[in-house]
Amino acid sequence: MIYFRQRIGWFPLVWICMSLSGCATVMPAPAPRPLDGSAAVKTEESISTETKPDPRATASLQFTEQGRILLERGRPDDAIAILEQALSIYPNNGQNYYYLAEAWLTKGDILQADEWNRLAKTYLLDDPDWTKRVREQRVRIRKFIK
Amino acid sequence: MERQKSSKSFIIRHLVRIIVWGSVAFILMITLYAWHLSAVIDKRFSARRWSIPSRVYSDSTILYPGQSLNPKSFREKLGRLGYRGFPHAPMKKGDMYENGSALELYLYDLSMPSKQRKGFPLRFNFQGNRIASIVHRDTGEQLPLVELEPEEIMFFFGRDREQRRLVSINEVPLHLKYAVLTAEDSRFYRHHGIDPRGILRALYTNIRHGAIRQGGSTLTQQLAKNYFLTPERTVRRKVKEFLMALTMEVMYDKDVIFEIYLNEIYLGQKGSIAVHGIGEASHFYFGKEVQKLTVAESAAIAGLIKGPNHYSPYIDPERCRNRRDSISQDMYRNGWITKEELEEVLEASVNPVGYSAYRNKAPYFIDYLSGQLPVFYSAEDLASRGLSIYTTLDTQVQMAAERALKRGLARLERANPTLGNSPPDKQLQGAIIVMHPKTGYILAMVGGRDYSVSQFNRSTQARRQPGSAFKPFVYLTGLDEFTPSSLLSNEPKSYEIDGTIWQPQNINPVAENGLRLRTALARSDNLATVDLAMKIGLKRIVNTALMFRFSTPMKAQPSLALGAFEVIPLELARAYCTFAADGVQPYPVSMKTVVDENGRILERRHLKIERIIPPEKAYMMSSLLRSVVEEGTARSLKWRNITFPVAGKTGTTNNYRDAWFVGYTPDIIALVWVGFDDGSSVFAQGSVAALPIWAELMSALPQYTPGSWFRKPSGVVMRIVCSQSGQLAVKNRCPEPMEEIFLHMHVPGEYCRFHK
Repeated sequence: MIYFRQRIGWFPLVWICMSLSGCATVMPAPAPRPLDGSAAVKTEESISTETKPDPRATASLQFTEQGRILLERGRPDDAIAILEQALSIYPNNGQNYYYLAEAWLTKGDILQADEWNRLAKTYLLDDPDWTKRVREQRVRIRKFIK
Repeated sequence: MERQKSSKSFIIRHLVRIIVWGSVAFILMITLYAWHLSAVIDKRFSARRWSIPSRVYSDSTILYPGQSLNPKSFREKLGRLGYRGFPHAPMKKGDMYENGSALELYLYDLSMPSKQRKGFPLRFNFQGNRIASIVHRDTGEQLPLVELEPEEIMFFFGRDREQRRLVSINEVPLHLKYAVLTAEDSRFYRHHGIDPRGILRALYTNIRHGAIRQGGSTLTQQLAKNYFLTPERTVRRKVKEFLMALTMEVMYDKDVIFEIYLNEIYLGQKGSIAVHGIGEASHFYFGKEVQKLTVAESAAIAGLIKGPNHYSPYIDPERCRNRRDSISQDMYRNGWITKEELEEVLEASVNPVGYSAYRNKAPYFIDYLSGQLPVFYSAEDLASRGLSIYTTLDTQVQMAAERALKRGLARLERANPTLGNSPPDKQLQGAIIVMHPKTGYILAMVGGRDYSVSQFNRSTQARRQPGSAFKPFVYLTGLDEFTPSSLLSNEPKSYEIDGTIWQPQNINPVAENGLRLRTALARSDNLATVDLAMKIGLKRIVNTALMFRFSTPMKAQPSLALGAFEVIPLELARAYCTFAADGVQPYPVSMKTVVDENGRILERRHLKIERIIPPEKAYMMSSLLRSVVEEGTARSLKWRNITFPVAGKTGTTNNYRDAWFVGYTPDIIALVWVGFDDGSSVFAQGSVAALPIWAELMSALPQYTPGSWFRKPSGVVMRIVCSQSGQLAVKNRCPEPMEEIFLHMHVPGEYCRFHK
C-alpha cells in the first residue's frame, strides 16, 4: 500500500472524484474576482487608484479657503473667481464645488447652485461630515426652487 | 507855409491814427486767435489726453510643492515676465539667482482684479524637475503655493502704435525732474512759455558753430509742437507755436504743463512700437517704476529726449553714457546734485535691462478673444481706454502648442516630401486647441501654421469632417441600450442612402465577425460602429450631436456614424470636455475679466455649467476612450513618452483629407487637427499625423499631467465578464475572464452562453 501510494500518489482518487462531480449539475457562479492575479484582463479602474495625497489638493484647498473667506465677507463674485482657480488646479477638490454652490446660492442663481451641489455630492461621497453638509445645502437649494 | 504845415500835421495825424487802429486791430486779432487756441487747448486737455492701448494679459501661473515643471519652458516664462539672472541672491524685485538645485526669485508685485500682493523674495527647492518646496526667504516660512504675475501678451494699439504708462508729477523723483530740466529747459520755472534768453543763447551757439547745435524751444513750446502741430519748419507754424506756448502758460500751472510733457515725450522705439513718456521709458530701459530710478538712470533717460534712437543705450551705450555724463555735470553746475552724486553717476555704467521686440504672442487666440470683445467695446475703445483684459491663456501651453505643431508638420513633410511641395499659402496646415475641461478655459489656441501667411483660424472657423473622432458620440448614444461588453457585428453590410448603395469598410481588416463594444471603439472599427448606429437609430445620434451643441448641420444618414458631417474643431473639443467634466459641458472661455485704467472691474465672466449627460455615462466614455489609448488606434502614445492615463480618439477622413487626435485627462484636453485647406490628402491617419503632435505637446507640459484619473461615480459598477461572449464570466469555465464596468441599470444578468 505504501509502495502503491509512493508510485501513483493520490491521482486515481482525485480523478474519480472529479469525474463524479462532472456528472452533477453545475450552478454557474460569477467570478467574484479574477481567477488568479493575471488571468483577468484589467480595465483601468483596477490599475489606477490614487493612494498618495496629491500636492495639488493642498494647493487647491488654499484657494478654496480664500474663496470661503471672501464668501463670508459678502463678496460672492470675488469668491467665485478664486474658487474657479482652485478648480483648475485640482478638479477633485470636492469642498470647492460645495463653496461654488454656496456662492451661486448667495448670488441667487439657484440652477447653478444646484449643478455645483450635485458635483459636490459626487466628490465628497467618501467624507461623512461633508456629505451631511452637502445634503443640508441641497435642502436649502430645494427650498429656493420650491 | 501854413497850408504846408497843416497838410504835414494832417498826414502825421492820419498815420498815427492808422498805426493806432492797426495796432488795436492787430492786438484784437492776436487776442481772438489766442482765444481760439485756448479753446483748442482746453478741448484737448480737458478730454482724454492720450490714447492708452488696452493690454491683454495671460492667466497667472500657480506654482506649488510637488508640481512638476518643464525647466526650459519655466525659465523662458520667467524671462518673459522680466526676471533677470544675477550671480548673487536677489536684492530687488525681478532679480533671479540659480543656486544648484534651488532657484531664488524676488517676486514682482501681483496686481490683478480683486487680488493684490507685494513682491517678496522666495526660494524654490527642486528635486529633478519637481518643486520640492517653496520657502519665503525672509521669514523661512514654507509656502503651499505661489502665484506668478500674468504676462502681457498683446496691446490693442491705435494707428500710432504708441505705448505709454502715465505717471503723476508727484511720483516723479526730484532728480529726474532736474535731469529733464537740465537737458531741455533749465529756466522752465522762470519764464512764461517763451525764453528770450534761451533763444539768444541758442542763436549765439549756432552762429559760433556755423550749424544748428542748440534749440531755443522751451518745454512748453516743445509740448505745443508735439501735441498740436505738425513737424514742418515754417514761420507760420513757429508763430503758432509761440502763441500756443504763451496761451498754455496762461491757462495752466507749471507743474501741469511739466507733467503733460513728461508723459508725452517720445523716448525710443521698441520694435514697431513707439515708447512715449518717462513712465514707459523707465520700464523699457531699466525695468522699474519711475520712482525707483537712480540719478544716473534719470540722467540717461533725460539725455534721450534730444535723440531717442541716437542716444539709446540699446544702440550705442558709449554715446548714451557720454550724454548722461554731460547732463549730470550740468546738473551739478546748476546745484541740483551734489559732488558725491555726480561722482557716483560718472562711475556707473549704463545697464539697460534688455527687451524682446513686441510681438503678439498668441495671434489666433487674440483674434478669437477680439471676436467676443466688440460686443462690449469698440476698436477705438480698445486702442485708447487703457483697459486691462485678463484672459485664460497659459503662455507656456501656447508656446508648447505652437512648437509642437510647427515641428509636427515639418516632420510629416520630411517623411512625405510631396506634402511640402505647395506654396506657402497652400501648405499643409494644422490647428491645436488646449482647454481645461472642467472650466472651459482655453489654455492655448493655434489656428494655423503661420499667422503672417494665413489669418484664417482653423480652430474656430474651419468646418472639417471629424471622421472617427465623432464615433464617441455614437457610442455614448449606444450606452442607453448597450454595455461595453455587448457584441457588435463586424460583418460587411450595404446600406441604401437616397437610392445609392453605401458599403462602409474598415481601414484595417478585422478578422473577427463580432467585437465587444469597447474593442470596437478602441480599434475604431467602422463596420461595428455603423452596426451600432443602425441598431440605436440615426435620429438619436443626431439628437446627441444637438445636445452637445454642434452648430453644423447633421443628417440621419449611416455615414453620420463615421463622422461624415463637418464640425468646427473648437466645438469638437468642447464636446469632448463633457466626458472629462462629469457630464457637464463648459462654455469655452477666453476672457476672464476686463478692468479699466483705475482698476475698476468692468466685465467678469464666471464659469456657468450645465449637465448634458449623467456623470456615470461620462465616466463610461472616458473608460472606453482610455482603451483607445491602451489597446487601440492610439496605443503608439505609450512609445511616445506618454506614461500617464489618457482617454482619446483618433480620426481620419476619406482619402486622408483630415487627421485628428483628441486626448484628455481630468486636467487637460487637447485637440490636434492636420490637413490642407483645399482638402488635399495628408496621406496619413490621425494616429500618424496628429497623435505625435499631441504627444509632443503633452510631454512639454508636466505641470498639467500629474497622472490622475477620474473618480468612479457610484452608479458605475464592475463585473467579471467573459471576453468572448461579453456576458458574466462562469468561474473556472471562461478562459479569458476580464473586468468590465457597467452602468448600474445595465449590469448583465446572463452568464456566459459559450462556457456554461
